[in-house]
Amino acid sequence: MHPFPIRFLIFLSLFSLNISCNQYRHLKRTPPDVNCVEKFKPIFLREEYKISVDVVGKHISGLLLIKYMTDSSTRIVFTNELGFSFFDFGFSQDDGFVVFHIVPQLNQPALIKTLRKDFELILFRNMDRNKSYNLIDSSIVYHAYPQKKGVNYYITDDQCRRLIKMQRSSDKKPVMEALFFDSPPDKSPDSISIRHLNFKFSIYFKKITPIAS
Amino acid sequence: MVKIIALVIITFFNIVARAQYAGYTLSNHPETFRKSFAEATSSIESVQSGFSQEKMLTMLSEKINSSGKFWFRKKDKLRMEYIHPYPYLMILSGGKIFVKDGQKENQFSANSGKVFKQVNRILIDCVSGNMLNNPDFQARVFENTGSFLIEFQPTAKNLKELYKNINIVVDKKDYTATIVEMIEVSGDKTIIRFQNKVLNAPIPDSVFNIP
Repeated sequence: MHPFPIRFLIFLSLFSLNISCNQYRHLKRTPPDVNCVEKFKPIFLREEYKISVDVVGKHISGLLLIKYMTDSSTRIVFTNELGFSFFDFGFSQDDGFVVFHIVPQLNQPALIKTLRKDFELILFRNMDRNKSYNLIDSSIVYHAYPQKKGVNYYITDDQCRRLIKMQRSSDKKPVMEALFFDSPPDKSPDSISIRHLNFKFSIYFKKITPIAS
Repeated sequence: MVKIIALVIITFFNIVARAQYAGYTLSNHPETFRKSFAEATSSIESVQSGFSQEKMLTMLSEKINSSGKFWFRKKDKLRMEYIHPYPYLMILSGGKIFVKDGQKENQFSANSGKVFKQVNRILIDCVSGNMLNNPDFQARVFENTGSFLIEFQPTAKNLKELYKNINIVVDKKDYTATIVEMIEVSGDKTIIRFQNKVLNAPIPDSVFNIP
């Protein structure tokens, strides 16, 4: 290969890297407004959702049960329509995480870690007020909660009237975005959307009304 | 002394077996059942019914309920149409599996994965009466006055990782499955109850058509 295309490719990749470089850099850092995000925190007492998962061209659906337990932990169970359980995760009050059950086919550390982080974002967990800060972008406020790796952002308007979206990010750019639809205060959202930005992986939850036992 | 120990062990296991399913005792004539079951199911060409499904999450003391309609036609056509809590359709036909979830439609070969192939066979075998011939399971037969309970324990390694056992309750009157109970390794279980069964009524091909 002629050396020019190689140099050009290197330049192009460096250029793209530069472009993709810290997408939060231009935002103005300010002290946190910790009470703002708190009011958007959903309350999941016992909710059943229809869940659709699309991952690299494959579609899986089923039922997701989110239940607040008497020990103040939250359990998330995913089963398919035929009743087969895919996983059962527990999120304890002290930000602990337990895999109570997972089918061998899904029992992969990277997948479990991704799902854990996704659920932690929408459950408003790992929110250390002492580490939090705000980033301001004109009329939008990024409420930042640093994690072990990366940062969780809860993005609101500057009057804190609306939760626009949630983001999980690496140190430089968002890797996942989540949205709540029809989410009344102190209740659970009617629908939730999770979309990964670095690979084709999305989850959509829609609340269902359970039939009488 | 050895005979006494053996007798105690046999009695113990017999008590365990008898105590395993309330109201049922271990059948003394499983081969007779096997023969009668095979004869009776050979005359069943089709089944239509409603079903209710109860998913029991043991550790959460929770139940998730669903219900729908069910069609089966020999030899390998099955349609399960969930109506509650939301529409969901699954058709197994000619080695293909079709799933419709809302607007999303998926079609794939039943042979595309070993577990899928095995689960597909379980579903068909449960209603066609062939479950006793499934080499992936070891069967024990229990009975009471009105029904048989066949307990299937998986022997295949990959199924052992998923299911503790699968039980089928068969009506003594017509030898059709009235309840299918799938008990997972975690202790969670799914119970499917078939209601208003209609046997051998013609079912048009269109019911099992995969678009």
